[in-house]
Amino acid sequence: MAAVRFGLMALLLWLFAGVALAQAPGEEHVKITLVAESDRPAPGSEVTLALASVPEKGWHAYWLNPGDAGLPARAEWILPKGASTGEIRYPVPERLTIAGLMNYVYEGPFAPLVTLRIPADATGAFPVRVKLNYLVCTDAICVPGKADLSTTLQIGDGSVVSSIRAQFDVWRAALPRPLGAEGIYQVDGKALRLAIPFPAAATAQGEGYFFPATHGAFDYAAPQKVARDGDRVVVETAGVKSVGPIEGLLAFGKQGFWVRAVPGAVPAAKAAPAQMPWSGALFAFLGAVLGGLILNIMPCVFPILSLKALSLAKANAEGGDPRAEALAYTAGVVLVCLALGGSLLALRAGGATLGWAFQLQDPRVILVLLLLVAGIAFNLAGLFELSAPGFVNRATARGTGGAFMTGALAAFVATPCTGPFMGAALGAALVLPWPAALAVFGGLGLGIALPFLLLGFVPAFRRLLPRPGAWMETLRRILSVPMFLTALALAWVLGRQAGVAGMTIGLAAALLATLGLWWAGLRQRRGKARAWLPAVPLLALALAATALVSAAPAGTGAVVPGAEKFSEARLAELTAQGKPVFAYFTADWCLTCKVNEKAVIETDAVARALADHKVTVLVGDWTDGDPALGRFIERHNRAGVPLYLWYKPGEAEPRVLPQILTQAMLVDLASKG
Amino acid sequence: MIHRMLVGAAIVAAGVAAAPLMAEPDVAAAVPNFRALDMHGKVVDLSAYRGRTVVLEWNNPGCPFVKKHYGSGNMQRTQAAATAQGVVWLTINSGAPGLQGHMTGAEAQKFVAAEKAKPTAYLLDPKGLVGKGYGAKTTPHLYIIDGQGRLAYKGGIDDRPTADAADIAGARNHVLAALAEMRAGKPVSVPETRPYGCSVKYAG
Repeated sequence: MAAVRFGLMALLLWLFAGVALAQAPGEEHVKITLVAESDRPAPGSEVTLALASVPEKGWHAYWLNPGDAGLPARAEWILPKGASTGEIRYPVPERLTIAGLMNYVYEGPFAPLVTLRIPADATGAFPVRVKLNYLVCTDAICVPGKADLSTTLQIGDGSVVSSIRAQFDVWRAALPRPLGAEGIYQVDGKALRLAIPFPAAATAQGEGYFFPATHGAFDYAAPQKVARDGDRVVVETAGVKSVGPIEGLLAFGKQGFWVRAVPGAVPAAKAAPAQMPWSGALFAFLGAVLGGLILNIMPCVFPILSLKALSLAKANAEGGDPRAEALAYTAGVVLVCLALGGSLLALRAGGATLGWAFQLQDPRVILVLLLLVAGIAFNLAGLFELSAPGFVNRATARGTGGAFMTGALAAFVATPCTGPFMGAALGAALVLPWPAALAVFGGLGLGIALPFLLLGFVPAFRRLLPRPGAWMETLRRILSVPMFLTALALAWVLGRQAGVAGMTIGLAAALLATLGLWWAGLRQRRGKARAWLPAVPLLALALAATALVSAAPAGTGAVVPGAEKFSEARLAELTAQGKPVFAYFTADWCLTCKVNEKAVIETDAVARALADHKVTVLVGDWTDGDPALGRFIERHNRAGVPLYLWYKPGEAEPRVLPQILTQAMLVDLASKG
Repeated sequence: MIHRMLVGAAIVAAGVAAAPLMAEPDVAAAVPNFRALDMHGKVVDLSAYRGRTVVLEWNNPGCPFVKKHYGSGNMQRTQAAATAQGVVWLTINSGAPGLQGHMTGAEAQKFVAAEKAKPTAYLLDPKGLVGKGYGAKTTPHLYIIDGQGRLAYKGGIDDRPTADAADIAGARNHVLAALAEMRAGKPVSVPETRPYGCSVKYAG
């Protein structure tokens, strides 16, 4: 009897265990946990809740707009009296195309966030419960799921555990940031074009894609073409029809921006490569050849070329092969131009925003160039001779190999000089179809090489070159002057990019390298073997200085005189001292911010008013979505930038200024302290 | 017969060719014709029904959203109400072999019998040609074609996009509402809605 009873019990237990297992998290395909940022929220405050979700491998959960099929999750909150929640804020989703149907999903861990408002009279235990209805699918099957999640908070001081804050900051960083400015879209037949204000100067990495949140206007599965065009991003895809105001998420890789757009006329992106006529490309090519030709007399290129001309003159006198040298030189110039242009196009295709001479935006490259140019200048000045084999040596040596290296060097050094007057033309070249764009870069190289091609192939020109003689030595010394000037310019650029410290490191490195070269020169003059031996470690040390320079942090380069980087500590310090503070929050991708800065904040009238009345200006740069700044911005009931705060002494709360500033408004506020 | 089916497939394929992925007829526009095999191996030609109202219903018996409407009897009731008015109801399965919901003729017969479903015909579209020709995205996804061969409605069966059968009670059945309006000679007040459900399990 007992055995039978035991058997029954065991059977029942096994059955229950089976039921329990069937509802184990593994069967739910997505594990969802309700987490509060603070377990002890203060009464009357807001606390962020996360629905931390981990889909099982091979399964996906849906974004707020699921795409062609699927369903977004629905949440039903059960809260104490007086409490309420905001909308669910979703992180940037992924695209999943299955058999031609588009799904906007999460295949990995993700955490939608919700703001919970605690009533001012709340005390004690504060239970929060949510009933979720959601759909999870694989590429083959779908399963609707339900979750009943709850947590109990204790009304307290609002303290946040730092590890949880860090976790929430990671989740916040995955949310799209509101772009502020409004976009325009146009559905023309089946073609949809969406223009989104996005400053040309803002960087955007990764593939661009617009996730429509509003249903009806977009054909989700249609491919999208996302192009940067001046101060806007243009999305071209297939549409269905105009459905009034829409919202959506513009993503570049994992970075997302929340966008609102209204129907209107959208001109096509100027950068429509297919419509660029070949006559235009030919014009650009000829322009590039002419530009390259002019580069020959720029201070940074001229000395190298002059030396080459002299060596050619020598070759002429000594019966070398000027044609082969001219061709090798041309090959060197054109190849470097093509390589620079090609890598620029490749990086552009990768989504990075770069301009011509992009390699000069890195202070380390500038430092290496500074050392190189300083070395060449001292060589021209006669500090040392290039007799040992080596890279730079060949620059002035004869022979086709040397000619090739001279060409490569000339083209590389020439790029900073191209900036001011060639930048726009080369920028235009970037939007040509890539073969045409490369042709323009090649044309620039051809232009640089043209004088030498003439010298090499037309003996009459060569005969115009003066006979070699002692005057060459004098000319060489004179030519060191423009080279020194180039070094000076590079030092200035380095200072702009890496600050005073960076420039000092660069100049110290140049000094170190020069000492090495001088030492080598002394040994050369004494006719010592291995004259270069002591110079090598010094040169290596000078090059090692590149590790020490880095770009000065962006945003601190304040354009308003005396503006400081925003921090809550600094703000508290200033307000405690009873000083007026103007705090503004900006981002490179925020067009409204940039317009306000150029047209209002950075104008002389406003800058003078701020300075006269001793208003401290604090600038918060939210370009990278700094979570600490994000929290601060959120506390002022703004989801993003621009945000303008005016702290008047004696007033506890700042005044939140409108998003469109006027000069009069700021001057007036400044005068009233 | 196989030859005829291939012809039918070719017609739809030609309609699809304009847009490589999906073609989707607009409301009030003429719909593409198709011919497909039903669960008994008989060829069904859409144009043969010209003059009558036709409902297309995309089906995948494994999909929880389809189960919501069949398990509750809602789909069968809608089918019966429509066919009683003389409407042709074509249930179409565009699931590819090996994927969820794909059925052979015999399996489809079993499904229809077990669910007591009331379609005029149950069509098999394992290559997804009819489905893609109509831009069918979800199961269920419903289309109503009027007697002139023009699209009168496309979208979901009702206005409660959930997998919960309890939501059927208070929902607006868009198909029955549109059919009633068409019978009364009135324009369809809600000619297009967002379909909801599982994605159609098309081949690759």
